[in-house]
Formats: sequence, C-alpha cells, structure tokens
Amino acid sequence: MRLLVTLFATVLALHAQVPRLVEVQERRLANGARLLVVERRGLPAFHAELVFRGGQAEEPTALAGATDLLARTLFGATWPEDLQPGKGPGHLDGLLRQEEGILEALRLERLHLHRDPAAPSQLPGLEASLASLQTRLRAQGSTRALEDVYLSQGGSQGAEARADALRAWTELPTAALDLWCRTEAQRLQTLQLSRFSLQRDQLAAELRARGPQGPALLLGAALPGHPYGRDLRDHLPTLEALRWSELRSYARRALSPGRLTIIIVGGQSLDQVAPLVERSLGALPLPQDAEEPLLPEIPSDLGDRRVQATQGTEPRLLVGWRIPPHSHPDHLALRLAAALLDGGGTGRLVTHLVRQKGLARQVDLELDVPGGRLPGLLTVDLRPATGHSLPELEGALHTEILRLQQEPIPPDEWTKALALLGTEYVHTVDDPAALARALGLAWAEGGDWRLLGLEAQRLSTLAQETVQAATRAWLNPSHRTMARLEPSITEAHDPLDQELVKVLGALAEARIPDLAQREHLVAEGLRQLRMLSPEERLRTLHLMEAQLAPVKR
Amino acid sequence: MRRLLLACVAPFLVQVPAQAQALPQATVRTSAQTFTLPNGLRVVHLENHEHPLVRVLLWVPLEPSDVAPGHQGLPDISLRLLSRSPAGELKADTFERSLAAAGIQFEAICTQDHLEWRLLARSRDQDQALGLLAERLARTALDPALLERERLDCWREREGLDLPPRERLARLLRLDPTHRPTAFSLGSISFEDILAFRARVLRPQRAILILHGDLGLEQAKRLLLLNLGAWTSGALESRPPAPFTAPAVPPDPIRITTGEAGLRLQAWAPCPAEVSPESAALLRLLVVAEPVPHGIQHRVEASGLEWTLEAGVASTPAQALAQLQAEVEALRQRRFSKADLEQARRVYLAQRPLEALHPEAQLATALANATGAGVALGRLQNLRIEDLQADLARWLQPANLRIGALGPVEALKALDKP
Repeated sequence: MRLLVTLFATVLALHAQVPRLVEVQERRLANGARLLVVERRGLPAFHAELVFRGGQAEEPTALAGATDLLARTLFGATWPEDLQPGKGPGHLDGLLRQEEGILEALRLERLHLHRDPAAPSQLPGLEASLASLQTRLRAQGSTRALEDVYLSQGGSQGAEARADALRAWTELPTAALDLWCRTEAQRLQTLQLSRFSLQRDQLAAELRARGPQGPALLLGAALPGHPYGRDLRDHLPTLEALRWSELRSYARRALSPGRLTIIIVGGQSLDQVAPLVERSLGALPLPQDAEEPLLPEIPSDLGDRRVQATQGTEPRLLVGWRIPPHSHPDHLALRLAAALLDGGGTGRLVTHLVRQKGLARQVDLELDVPGGRLPGLLTVDLRPATGHSLPELEGALHTEILRLQQEPIPPDEWTKALALLGTEYVHTVDDPAALARALGLAWAEGGDWRLLGLEAQRLSTLAQETVQAATRAWLNPSHRTMARLEPSITEAHDPLDQELVKVLGALAEARIPDLAQREHLVAEGLRQLRMLSPEERLRTLHLMEAQLAPVKR
Repeated sequence: MRRLLLACVAPFLVQVPAQAQALPQATVRTSAQTFTLPNGLRVVHLENHEHPLVRVLLWVPLEPSDVAPGHQGLPDISLRLLSRSPAGELKADTFERSLAAAGIQFEAICTQDHLEWRLLARSRDQDQALGLLAERLARTALDPALLERERLDCWREREGLDLPPRERLARLLRLDPTHRPTAFSLGSISFEDILAFRARVLRPQRAILILHGDLGLEQAKRLLLLNLGAWTSGALESRPPAPFTAPAVPPDPIRITTGEAGLRLQAWAPCPAEVSPESAALLRLLVVAEPVPHGIQHRVEASGLEWTLEAGVASTPAQALAQLQAEVEALRQRRFSKADLEQARRVYLAQRPLEALHPEAQLATALANATGAGVALGRLQNLRIEDLQADLARWLQPANLRIGALGPVEALKALDKP
C-alpha cells in the first residue's frame, strides 16, 4: 500500500511539473504544403501565418535583399489591384514591365555618367518617362489604406524576413477565413509586386540611414563567407540593381508550396478549416525547377577571433560563440545555460557584472543569432559602466563562463532558470500570435513543429551535468569571436567631450609641433578621461582650462 | 494510512476545478465584472479559463497637481526608488529572485499621466504574485541612500541616452515638454518630496486594478481581499502642491546631433484629452488611410500621430521643416465626407473581435472603459461628421505639434534660419 501511495504521489508531482502540450492538428495538403490548426473554441477571430522555409540565408548573393523585399512588397499590404491584375499593354502587368525597363536604363545611364561625366546624358528624358509611367501606375493602384482588402474587413497583417524563414501573418474575424484562404492563394499565384520600386528604394534608404551595426560586424567576423554572416548593407548596389521580374521569378521558387507551413489559431477545427485551405492554398502548383540550395558549412572551432572597430557613440563589447543548430541535442542545454546567464534580468551576468561588481551598465544575451537552422551564435552584448574598460568586462565575462562550466549550479538558480523557460512556454501557448510564430519557427529552424512542446517537456529531465558539458563543448575560446567597439575620439557628440577635445588640442598645440603626435595625444587623453565620471571630467576640464592663456579659453 | 492517502490526494482534488476550468468554453470567453474592495480599490475582473495564467494591471492616474513646478521627474524617481527599496522583509534582490523563481513577470511603468504595475503569473503562483505586488505597494520602506544614484539613472533613462538616435528622438517627442525632467529638476527633489508624493498618489481609492485570467469571481475577490485588502492610504501631506501651470509658448524643436549625413525631421501630435475616444478611434483609421507625399511617412499610435520626413539634398533644412508642417496643416484642413465616416465606423466595428486574440488588449480596453476613456457603441453610432472634423482640427492644431530633428550639427543649426 505504501508503495502505491508513493507511486501515486510521484506521478502527481511529475504531472504538476510537466507543462501540458498544445493541441495541434496537422494535415499535409496535396501540393506538399503543411497545415497546422490550433482550435480555440469560442474565439471570434483567427491568427493565420504563412511560414516559408528558407529566408535570407538561402538567397543567392545576386539576389541579396530578396526576402526583405518580398516581405514588404508581397505581404506588406493587400491591394485589390494586386489580386486581379489586368493583362496586356496599358494594364498593371504591362506597366510594371515598362517601369522595370526604364529603371534599368536609368541605372545604367547613371553608372555611365559616373564613369564619364562629360558624356551626353539621356538622364532627363528617362526621368521624365519614369515620372509619367509612375503617374499611370499610381492611377491604377489604390491610394487609401482603407481600400486594403484586409484592413477594410477589420483585419491586420504583417511580415518578417528572417535568416531561416519568411513569415507573413494576418488577423481577421472568423467569418473572413474563406476570404483569407482565397486572397492568399491569389496573392501567391499572381505575385504582382506592384509597389516593388517604391519598396526597394525605401529599403535601400533605410539601410543607408542605419549606418554600420556592431552585431553585423560580429556576425561577419564569426561566420565569414557564410550567408548567416552577410550584412545587407554591403550589398546595396546589388539590391538597387534587383529587377521586378527577377524578384518575381525568385518568389516562384522560394515561396513554393513544398516550403510552406500554414498555421491557423482560431475558433475553428481542422475539419472546418482544411477544405477551405485545400481548395485555395492546396491548389497552388509546384514549381518545375524547385531545387534545395546548398549552403556552405563553417567549422565551429575556427579559433578565437577578435575585431576592434571605431563605431557608435559609446564603448561596447560584443562576444559571440558559434553554437550548434536548433535540431542538435546540445541546443536545449545551451538554452538553459543562456537562461542561467541572462535569466530575464536576474541571471548571473546582470547580478554579478551590473549589480554586484558595477562593471557593466547593460547586458543583453541572445541565442541563435541570426537563425537556428544552421550553426549560429550565442551573443552577449555588454556596455561598460562609467569608469570601467572593455578589457575589464572581457575578463569578468570569461570568469562567469568558466564558473558556469566548472562550478556546481546552486539549486535556486537551477529552479529559477527552469521556471523561466517553463513560464515562457505557457505564455507562448496562451497568445495565439506567439504560438503561431513559435510553431512556425520550430518547423523552419528545427525541422519539426513538435520541438516546441517536446523541448518544454525535456526541460524537466535535463541534468546539470548535461548543461555544463554543453557549455564546455561550445562556449570555449575556439568557438568565440569578440568585437570591441569604441567611439571615435575626435568626433565626439557629447558636448563635454567636445570641450575636452578643444582644450586638449589647445594644450597640445603649445607643446607638440608634430601634427600626428598631437592628434594621437588628444585621442589618448580623451580615452583616459572617459574613464572618469561626468563630474570628475568636468572638474578636470576646468583645471585644464586654467592652464590655457585667457585668449585661448 | 487513510489520512496519508488523503494528504496525497488533496492537492490533486484542489487542482480538479482548475483542470475542469481550463477546458475551452464554447461561447463566452471573457466576461467582465466589477467590484470595489473595502479600502476603495476598484477592480475589474475578466474571467478567462483558456490557460492557467493570471494577468494583473494596477493603474494609478497622476494629476497635474501631483507634481509641483520645478519637480519634473518626481513620479519617475519615486517609482524607481519604490522598485529598488526593500519590500517588507524582502530586500530588493530577494524580491526579484522570488519573482524569477516562480517565473512571475513584474513590471512597473511611469508615464506622464499615470503609474502602472503589470503582473503575469501562472495560476498556481497567483497568491505569491499578488502578495509580492502588495508588499511592493504597501510595505516598501523607501531607502534614502538610493536617491542620489537613482537621480542620474532616471535622467539617463528619461532622456533615452542609451538609445539609438532615432529611437531617442521618438522617445523625447512623446514626453510632454512641461513634464520633461531635467538634471536640475531631478536634483531638486528631496526624499521628503518623494514620501509626500507616495502618500498623495499611491492610494487604493485612486487606483484601478484589472484582473484577467483563470479564476472565478469569488476566488478573485478572496485573493484580492487577502493580499490587497490591507493596503491603506498613508497620512496625506497637509501642504498641497502648488497648482501646475503649463507654459503658453511651445518649446523649440528637439535637436539630436548624429554623424549621419541626412536630416530627419519628425512631428508628433499627442491625442488631446478634449478629443472624444470615439473621434480618436475613427480619426486614427482615417489618418492612416490618407496618402502622403513621397519622402514623408506617417504612423498612428494609440497615444498620437507621427510624421517623419527624410530631407533630401534638394531642399534646405528650413524648407524641409516647412514641408512637414504644411503636410500636417493640409491634413488638419482635410474635409472628410460622411462616406469616410461610415467606412471608418464599419472598419472599427469589424476590428473589435480581433481583441480576443490579444489578452493585453483586453486589459487595455477594460481599463479604458473603467476610466471613461473607452469607446461607447452608442456614442460611436451617433458621432457626426462635424464633431469628427472639429476634433481633427483640435488634435492637429500647431500648438499641439511637437517637432524634433536628427542630423549633423550644420543642418540642425540651419533649422533656425528663415
């Protein structure tokens, strides 16, 4: 009897710990697309998501930016004219072809003029033709957002280009499910991309305005030559040369049904949803030349890499370790290690580096950067507190990693990390949008949507030794890349720094005749002064000013 | 033996109703009930048994008279101090560890018109979560030693000094200039000011609590009474703060220097209190539907409207600023038709079911309804085109427009030139 009671109690305890799995119904459509339905009875609306496996990583270099453009042009809005295009000259399709021709001629003419500014220019004529054509195009298109098919039904939509997938989602009232199925099928069949040139210009302008990014620098150094390490800013000329017809033919391959998973979370069951989806998205044809691209592989142990750059307005230390893909057995252990280090603001890095030692002002940790289908990075982004240097932070971070690898994990920290991931799962399941996203990414990155629930269950059986072994295997110097970013010394934006540069320069002018030496001294002086608090820097400024002759102050 | 068996089974029996409740309901998913605790705390209870989760939103409005002139930033620094001081017997780090160990999300937010606390916890941790909220609200002993450090951090955060320039500009535009803290205003706030502010503002009679999730009405009442029933008002400070007077002249544009070559101009029009919620809801739809010239982008948020212009080389900074202002003025002069109004009304009503997909949106609507800022169906149906037009003019009047610029020093200086 005692044995029975003990067994019963154990079963109950386990039952309480293991999160309930979300109920997903799956069906494979005739054309190879997958349909996942999560039924939430009584819900008067639905969240639907189209997830196309592939993403930015699978773009050929000559089509860099294609996934981002598809997210914006194809799925950014749903204009009626894009769903039922008229064919032939004078209609939308024909006008877009003409626009492509003029845009290409303009690009070539500008290149020509750039090489030979004295050459006779056809630019004004081409520009006038383009303006006239675009006026005709605009006349055929909708101008007001309320003409959008979904918005006019009370719906909303969005899209995201990721390293491993293109996601497009829509939210609509339940009654509009049939409309959604027909519209999406029509969109993918037509691939009109009517606002292509506008979106391409906007994307290029945004990339230019964004300026160099620290994380992109880290990725490039950590994953050299791999699509995961690509920075779209480096491919701006390619993006600007991309043509409407090229993007369209790429879309036919990249957005094929064989790469598609459709996820619907709403008030209807699989039996209610499936016939509608079969008739529409299930009837999309498979492309003839569907071929899986081969991606290069990078060994994880490339060796410790370091990059130093002058960038941004404040010092920053970025560290990335090459880690295995989502489908690898060690991935879950690394996720738990990340929870121990980051822990939603109460992990080791924040507790030790920010609160206890006061070395860092901000710590951010990310897993699977930029994606999880292939080996990516676990990154830590550290910003030093005033008066502390990047080498200090580097040393402290290394200590924390070694502690995680070598010292026993205290039970309260372990429980906290498990609770964090367990709660994250419950929150994801609760929110239809988050659930659809998580299912889609588990499929696109991990190869199976079931990973979402399975990992939540496996967490309870994960051993501390497994986590430590995984951190020893992956978070070691041979997998590491480190980027030290420091702001430009002489182009300071802080008014106090500007004053300091002025005074240091004036002081150096009197003593050092060599210009290069003088510049170096000012830069080094400012670098040292930045270690002080603002109050101390201000006092030092006044002291230095006192050394200057009154006319130079 | 039987007792032992019962002891083992008891937790399971307690869980049975929760498991039964977790079954999806066929028709009604969320029902709203309101009640008031004996201490005056008003509660809106949204029952939803879809998942074993509980969400709490505690909202405390701020009045202009809560902050004396020259003390801009008092709510921010008070909340920071409250969040970092020991709560009852729990030190600040123990408090955070308790939250993390139970996987409870706890957030305290200060805006220019209210303070709020948000909680998200699994149902099984609801007692602990509300207990911790009560500790924070009622039993926190403010630590004066933290004040000096918090001053600097508070200013840094409010000014968005750690944000990328574009985000910083957007953040600063959303701050009412008359409430924007400065290093001087934060420096002039004393510990006594904070104690007085807390006693004046953190009162259950002033607050509204929205409780959403997997618990019934009676259960909710018991839970709140047990945890927040003892939250009482402190002694009110006898000296009321001086009435607040906003400056009549709008301040200069916000300028942020960057290394980027181009100039970015941004205009922000916060939704004024005089605009009715129904007008605001429909105007957001109508404004977003308006076409804008090439180079200008607009964005609609719950709290206001934003326009962004990336100035090209073809125009001077002053011309670009004039173009942006002209765009807003053109919209202010726009005459919407009755058909536009009808279309916006139809779309707004069609959007309502989508709220069921977003639990946080349900909380926001419940709060808006409880504070009288919600959209009433009757008023929406009766809204006339003239009222809508008048509200649009009110919303976009030049005095309500905040302008900001981001770019190189020379371009920012040139903004002053005619």
